[in-house]
Formats: sequence, C-alpha cells, structure tokens
Amino acid sequence: MPATIASGASTTYGDHAESSSRELFGEVALEALDSAGLTPTDLDAVYVGNFMGDLIEDQGHMGPLLADAIGAPETASVRFESACASGGATFRQAVLAIESGAADAVLAGGVELMSLADIEHVTDALANAADEMYENEQGLTFPGIYALMARRYMHEFDVSREDLAAVSVKNHANAVANPLAQFQRELTVEEVVESKPIATPLALYDACPVSDGASAVVVVSEAFAAARDLDPVASVLGTGQSSDALALHDRGSISRTPAAARAAQEAYREAGVTVNDVDVAEVHDCFTIAEVMALEALGAYDPGAGARGAVDGETAVDGSFPVNPSGGLLGKGHPVGATGIGQLVELTKQLRGVHPNQVTDAAVALAHNVGGSGASATVTILGGV
Amino acid sequence: MTVPAWYDTFTDAIAAGEPQCLACAACGDASLPPRQVCPACGSTELTAEPLSGRGTILSFTEISVTTPKFHGETPYTVVMSELDEGVVLSGQLREATAADVAIGEPVVLDTETRADGPALITFRPADAEATDTGDRDDA
Ligand SMILES: [Zn+2]
Repeated sequence: MPATIASGASTTYGDHAESSSRELFGEVALEALDSAGLTPTDLDAVYVGNFMGDLIEDQGHMGPLLADAIGAPETASVRFESACASGGATFRQAVLAIESGAADAVLAGGVELMSLADIEHVTDALANAADEMYENEQGLTFPGIYALMARRYMHEFDVSREDLAAVSVKNHANAVANPLAQFQRELTVEEVVESKPIATPLALYDACPVSDGASAVVVVSEAFAAARDLDPVASVLGTGQSSDALALHDRGSISRTPAAARAAQEAYREAGVTVNDVDVAEVHDCFTIAEVMALEALGAYDPGAGARGAVDGETAVDGSFPVNPSGGLLGKGHPVGATGIGQLVELTKQLRGVHPNQVTDAAVALAHNVGGSGASATVTILGGV
Repeated sequence: MTVPAWYDTFTDAIAAGEPQCLACAACGDASLPPRQVCPACGSTELTAEPLSGRGTILSFTEISVTTPKFHGETPYTVVMSELDEGVVLSGQLREATAADVAIGEPVVLDTETRADGPALITFRPADAEATDTGDRDDA
C-alpha cells in the first residue's frame, strides 16, 4: 500500500528553553493533524524520534508521554532512537507500517530540547552516539570525530578549509530567508575559517548549533487519503536505511560514509529514480565536511569532488543540484530527534512550490539523515502529488 | 562510571608492555576486543595475539570544546593510528602537540592511568627528534 504525507508542521529551530518536549511536540503534531483534516483518534500509531531526552530532560519512554500530550493516550506509541538519524528512522518505520498494511495513519514526529544544558553537558550527551570506551573515554567528542574525518579527507583529496567553509557560507545564506531557521545572518568564508576552533581543522561555524525544536508529519496510505478525501502534500517514492560499525576506527575508510551510500541506493531502487532525477535535496550537514561526504554518498559527486558543489555554486538554490535550501543543519539548526522529520517538512514545501527558497519545478526531492559519524543512515525520496 | 572488565584487560596489557589484539584464524584480520565474530569474514575463531604497539597516524585533531570529564584539560590532541597489525584505534597524543605531528608519521601506543576513571589510551611520536617539518597537514 503506497504511503503519502498528508501534512507536516515544524516549530522554529533555536532556543525553546522555556518550553518542554511535550509542549513542542504537541504544537507540531496538533498543527499537522489539523491541517490534514484529521484528529488524534484517527491515528493507528504515534512514532517519536528523540535522542537525548533521557540525558537532558531526565525523561525516557517518550512514546506514551507524547501520544498522551496530543490526546491519543491509547494509541500504540513508541520512540525510535538512532542518534541524529532518529527522525529519519522514525519516518521510515511509519512508512513501513503503512506499506505493510498494518496501519493507515501514523503520526511521525521528532523533538529535542538541548539548550537546557551547558555546552559541556550537551557535548557529553551527543557523544553517546559514539563508542563509549574507544572514543568518548579517550577524549574524542562528536566534533572531534568529524574533525578526524575532515583532516583525513583534506589529506586524501587536497581540499582546503576554505573549500569546506563554502558549505557553511551557502547554508547560512539560505537560512536567512527561512523563518524557521535558527541563524538569520550570512557568513563569509573568512568568518567561518577564523571562527573559534572546536576540534581542528573544524571551527565553530563549520558546526551546526545547539538547537531546540520539533517537527511532525502525518503519513497515510493512499487508500486512506482517498477514502477521507485528504489532500496529501507529497508521495513517498522510496526509502532506504543502512548501518555501519559504530566506531569510526572500525570502518574501512574514515573519509566516506558507506552506510549513507547503501541507504541511497536502496531508496533510488525503490523509487525507480537515479540521482540525476533529484531536483532538490536536504542533507545531513552537521558539519561542513558532512555535506561534502553526503554529496558523494548520494552519488551526486565522485569521491573527492563533493566540495566543488558549494565552491562552484552547483548546490546553490539556483544551481544544478540544489542542496539544503532550508539552511541545513548548519543554518536552520539541529534539534537532533526532529531533524530528519524537519527535512521532510521542508521538502513538502518544495514539492508544493511554496518554499521561501523555492527550487524551480521541484518534482523529486531527497532527504539524507545520518546518525553518529555515519553508523546510521536513512534516505527518503519524495514526489509531488 | 563502571569500567567493563575487557577494557581493563586491554589497557593493563598495554601498560605491561604486552598489548594484544584479536586475530582471526580464518582470514587473518586483526580487530580490537571484545568481539565474538570477525568483522571481516564472520568467523568466530578469534584468538588473542600480540600487538607491536607501533603504527602511523591516519588523522588527528586538537580538541578545544570537550565534555565534563575532560574539563580544564583543553586543548588536547587525539590521534587515530593504524598499527602495524592493521588495527586502528584512537588515543591522546603525549610528548608532542598537534603542531608537531602529521598524517603518516610513526607513533607508539601506550596508556596512562587516571584518578577518575578508566585508563587512557595514548600515543607518542616514535622518534620525536626525527620529525619531518616539510609535509604538514595542520594549517
Ligand atoms: Zn576473519
């Protein structure tokens, strides 16, 4: 049974320290249900993406908490956790439930509250996505692990810090027009390169910010949409998911993300498209190097050539392969569990032609969501309806 | 935190000058403990074998923003090294800073104890005096 997205909603990403997961999630879930013309009791399941609620809010078991918050306490609910890919994984489970025929309507949302903690405790919580003994206990941080990848990549492919910075410059420029984005200021290459070092060769503006936020989509079967006379905002053409060794040192290469490449191939195959058919992409640019590796994993660029995308303007909104017109994680923000769902909300706007950074005639849209340093990856391909 | 026994066994052996890895009887692949299955071929015939403790730098980073555990210790450098036997692991750089090292340079595996938790894995330049300054990746 083919799946479609009936509706989507997202909070602004940024500082919501005065709020809570149940309030943020409730806000977007109820808005999405309302705009689809559905009520909470129409849902067969409530799926929640969240990564660090246990650590920051001291709150686990978020499925029932958040289902109750939206007035569906008896509906089957579960939280999915795949680090920064929690949102993408949550959506994929919703799609699989629809496609299998087990459900007709599933709310797939994500939420994260991060700004409640200071930077060292947020860094500690994010590090839970890595290998505790072999990485965290050696003093590696999440930016530190991506820094190892970045330095190796720059060594293998003769790519400069300025080349990587071009990704941040592009995505921050895109964020300015997006009212949901955390950053509303353009940056120059010089500002990125000369920003405060966090883990060399990566600096502050090579990295996404600490963000709060929530996003939700309502996933329904085509039959349900027809029977209820809904007006879907996107069709789900294909999804893919793959994993890899958790620790970076246990992978064959530290300058590539093969799990994302496998997820992309699976999604392309299911959708019956190639990367050349993709009109717009939202990719997981938690760091500048991550967008470069994402472009290569998706097959849009050969290994070592991904940095050309931003440097040459090919990944700009009006370029040949527009990437992160939302501002991406770098400019829009990265409330971890919400990010993968937020990418889809952005893409439904592209497919409807109403995005603030609209890509001309966007008909096929791709989302790429990665957890940890590449151990979890999901790719989703959406089409217009 | 609770330190798993395998980790103490691994770092105690390094401290004693007799580091060990796992070697696969079927394909020869070397891996880090603990594992029940060879990551290269799926064999379960893994045995403890000696590690030389010598390797080369695959990558490195100087960390300035850290976790509460390492509060007050920044900046420090973490090196990822491939040992001669093929296993790759990360540890903190000692007897040098990030400005002194480059990808491809030789390092030696060691460990040091910490008052507040498990032992740290460390690396030091194999020959600090012979450092080549001509081919630096660190800008
Ligand atoms: Zn083997």
